[in-house]
Amino acid sequence: MADGQSPHGPGEEPLAPAGPVGPAPAVRPFLVTAGRVAGAGEAASGRAMPVETQLVATTEGIDALGRLSFEQHDIVAACRVPQSIAEIAARLRLHLNVVRVLAEDLRSVGQLSVHVPDSGVTHDASVLRRVIDGLRAIPDSRGVLRDSD
Amino acid sequence: MACGPSPTPGGYSVTPTEPLARPAAGQAAVRPPLPVKLVIAGGFGVGKTTAVGSISEIEPLTTEAAITEVAAGVDDLSHTPRKTTTTVAMDFGCITIDPTLKLYLFGTPGQERFGFMWDDIVEGAVGGLVIVDTRRLDDCYAAVDYFEHRQIPFAVAVNAFDGKVEHSLDEVRWALDVSEGVPVLVFDARERGSVRDALLVVLEQALARSGG
Repeated sequence: MADGQSPHGPGEEPLAPAGPVGPAPAVRPFLVTAGRVAGAGEAASGRAMPVETQLVATTEGIDALGRLSFEQHDIVAACRVPQSIAEIAARLRLHLNVVRVLAEDLRSVGQLSVHVPDSGVTHDASVLRRVIDGLRAIPDSRGVLRDSD
Repeated sequence: MACGPSPTPGGYSVTPTEPLARPAAGQAAVRPPLPVKLVIAGGFGVGKTTAVGSISEIEPLTTEAAITEVAAGVDDLSHTPRKTTTTVAMDFGCITIDPTLKLYLFGTPGQERFGFMWDDIVEGAVGGLVIVDTRRLDDCYAAVDYFEHRQIPFAVAVNAFDGKVEHSLDEVRWALDVSEGVPVLVFDARERGSVRDALLVVLEQALARSGG
């Protein structure tokens, strides 16, 4: 057992183990969603969008950028390149569920395209083989491929 | 293996947002990649973020995930377990396989008190890697239990801190009581090739499960 004060190993996470990270933001997270904690689509299905759900700005969204403000603007602007919900939350420092709600709002007005991955497809053997082949092509730190020995 | 609604080309289901879809509006300007998710679990300080950072093409990002905890201990006997919502930090990274396929790695806190937190993060994951520090085996029991109960393919990876492992893999397997089919391996979270190989073991498990 660890003695509770073992020196940090090389793989130690830099973050605090639990609880809020950093000081509380000045604006309560769900203020930007008018207090809503679930988007309309989620309420209908009872399931939250997975964190890897891809968000992409639509041409309508990009055209509307000048009229959008604050978080909505930032999300559409960031999603000119496809991004996952988790990436948007991290990059814009928003709560995951705030991103879910705002993404749903933006989707409902046609400014954002929301792509929920189909788990039947992501678990399909052909997809998994492509991931495996792609990973094998990654060299290790010394530039050696996995299958080269 | 496909279940539920027929997948659309590219692997996306339009549910749950279909009921609100408006024809001809909201077409993506760019087609996104299909995201495949692996979860990296383990106790605090075991090397999850290091492992993600070793292989991710982006610096690991951190977001705060809201989790629901069911209070343990005395409340276990109650018919109305007390639920509280907590926020935990979740680190993640990604690897672009090709323009149509992207692997996401999500590191989740794995202490027992977060026993019910993972659903939000793990939903849809193709597999999991449980990272173990042999000095603190207790920290990974919750993750092992979770993946076993949810029948998610996973492997146990012992992080060799300073190149040393204090227990043999057989001892780790025995202590964790994982079933025969679950791979137990040693890796170094700081080494890209080592992390890659550990992820490949998980993906091979997932592939075997898919019947491929």
